[in-house]
Amino acid sequence: MSSERISRLAGLMLACAATAFATSSSADTNLKVFVTSQGQPAIWRTLLDQYEARNPGIKVGIELGGTTSDMQAQYLNTVLTAKDSSLDVLMLDVIRPAQFAAAGWTSPVATDMSSYLRAYAEANTIDGKVVALPAFADSMFLYYRKDLLDKYGLQPPKTWDELADAAKKVADGEKNPNLQGLSFQGKAIEGAVCTFLVPYWSQGKVVTKDGKLDFDREAATKSLALWKGFADSGVAKKNIAEVATDDTRKEFQAGNVLFAVNWAYAWAMSQGAESAVSGKVGVARLPAIKGGEQATCLGGWEWSVSAFSKHQDEAKKLIEYLSSPEVSKYVAINGSLLPTYGKLYKDADVTKAVPWFAEAQAIVETAKPRPVTPRYNEVSEAIRTTVNAVLAGATTPADGAAQIEARLKRIIR
Amino acid sequence: MTTTSTFKSEADRPVVRRPWLSRWSDPDDTTLAVILLAPAAILLGVMIVYPVGRLIYTSFLDLSLTSGLPARFAGLGNFKQMPDDPVFWQATWNTVLITLITVPGSLVVGFALALLANLPFQMKWPVRLSLLIPWALPLSFAGLIFGWFFHSEYGVVNDVLHRIGLPGVIWFNSPRLAFAAICLAIIWKASSFMAMIILAGLQTIPRSLYEAADVDGAGRVRRFFEITLPLLKPTIVVALIFRTITALQTFDIPYMMTGGGPGTETATLAMYIHQNTVSFLDLGYGSALAVVMFGLSMLVTALYLRMIRGNGAAS
Repeated sequence: MSSERISRLAGLMLACAATAFATSSSADTNLKVFVTSQGQPAIWRTLLDQYEARNPGIKVGIELGGTTSDMQAQYLNTVLTAKDSSLDVLMLDVIRPAQFAAAGWTSPVATDMSSYLRAYAEANTIDGKVVALPAFADSMFLYYRKDLLDKYGLQPPKTWDELADAAKKVADGEKNPNLQGLSFQGKAIEGAVCTFLVPYWSQGKVVTKDGKLDFDREAATKSLALWKGFADSGVAKKNIAEVATDDTRKEFQAGNVLFAVNWAYAWAMSQGAESAVSGKVGVARLPAIKGGEQATCLGGWEWSVSAFSKHQDEAKKLIEYLSSPEVSKYVAINGSLLPTYGKLYKDADVTKAVPWFAEAQAIVETAKPRPVTPRYNEVSEAIRTTVNAVLAGATTPADGAAQIEARLKRIIR
Repeated sequence: MTTTSTFKSEADRPVVRRPWLSRWSDPDDTTLAVILLAPAAILLGVMIVYPVGRLIYTSFLDLSLTSGLPARFAGLGNFKQMPDDPVFWQATWNTVLITLITVPGSLVVGFALALLANLPFQMKWPVRLSLLIPWALPLSFAGLIFGWFFHSEYGVVNDVLHRIGLPGVIWFNSPRLAFAAICLAIIWKASSFMAMIILAGLQTIPRSLYEAADVDGAGRVRRFFEITLPLLKPTIVVALIFRTITALQTFDIPYMMTGGGPGTETATLAMYIHQNTVSFLDLGYGSALAVVMFGLSMLVTALYLRMIRGNGAAS
């Protein structure tokens, strides 16, 4: 039997199945929103309930998936490769809109982006088309134990060397074997890409320039050596290669970490009822390499409409609501998710809930985006597996930097 | 095995005409054969021949969903990329190594378990059940469980080491230790499958042979090597074929335990295929890698089948 005939047969069977399902329609328009399970789904549920109340005839369901950015992407890749229409709205990590748009998986939305923070207006505009709207802003910050720094008369460090000195001073004084000086992400997850880039950028280097690779191997070696040095000198724990973002959050919250590199979401939970460090936490800009500038990684999540959704107009209307100032303010207050509108950073209700947001706008606005390329997943993989290998001690920083360069050369030509 | 010969004799038999077949649909032998074989052929076609054919076709295409470009014929382009791809070599080598270690490993452990389970216990079901559990557990759960066992801080392995006064080890920091932990998990998981097949084989050996050997004064060891092992050979070969092919396709356990880490030191070929297709959306290169793995599996199966045929002629 020819393959053509077989595929025709399969098509017929699918068509039968489709008609069987299509008969069970109801009056309501049902929208399905994909939300990351790390993205505080309960808060979004509350907002969706409000939306349903205001828009009779629209029902919105949440589908949760994946505990890390890369696992969510893997799931969405399979769903969208199959042109599955079951998801209408997708919550995407800031690094994804460019890739998803290139693959033709998202529908462009016509919205004026001028009121959003500039970084997000840029990240979501691909070839002049707006492909996603910001859900919340984010960048990496240095969380620190205010109580311990005060106790030893220390200021939040401005350089990584100062951080190591401060960690040693506190460790010597506290004599607590469970207290880690610094926690960061060494597991081969998306966060490890930022782990690598923060000190790399701090030396004034870039990964790509005008779409071409502009890699500085020396700066890369220095970045990898910095992190490995923390593990070797005991400032970070020896198994840092096993630590993912939420491990850092949990250990800091349990009171076992002096300094932590993490995103804004960790704040709300560090001030929650289950936290051992409530009221003892400070947040600052990430330190710099000595002689360099303080740099951080741009994060945040976006809302986009699946190109395969059968409810394009309803879905677009929904994401306009979900990225409105009203919603941005609500999630800032209730989930410590950074606003996507500049004016909200000084909003009295917001700063009352999260005081340090008042100073956060400048940090988010100067945060650097990870390389923008449709083949970002490969770039990410090359960087994060190498960071992991170096921290595990399986590769030296110099070899790791050479490996990253070799792999990036194959990807970005 | 001997399917072809039995089939021939089946076909030679006169077709028994069922009364409910009406005259117009009363087919001749050839038509009947086509009708009877059609369901199996369609199933095989849809489930195996079409996907494999499509896979081979895709392996010659330059097809990456992230490029936004339509598929383009690339000839052997995808295959030519492999020799310079360090991760490909590492993953392939790891896959071969896992096969070479875990296939004999699970055979030995499985054999021992089968012999134990074959002892004349009063109550047979607790033994059989405990043999069945590792096999019944989904692979990814096994990977997750062993991942926790070997976790440097929360794992039970390091806890035991601490209790007996030894320093803990960061298992997943070292490529070798991580690899050893993965092999251990695979052997644990696969042994129960081997044990069950071998146990079934053991029970087909007539007790009278052992009794006769006993009369002739043969000891335990002699009985094992002269009776048990030769009579089990066909069973073992079948078990080995299944085990080797699943070993070549190892994915779940390392994926859940180490995710291929540290770095890509414990990645397998199946993981690399998954990564290229599902994460990188490079369907062309991913398909080419899958074709290589398919070829590897076919090669190994052919070798085993040859072994069986050789055995058949000898006995």
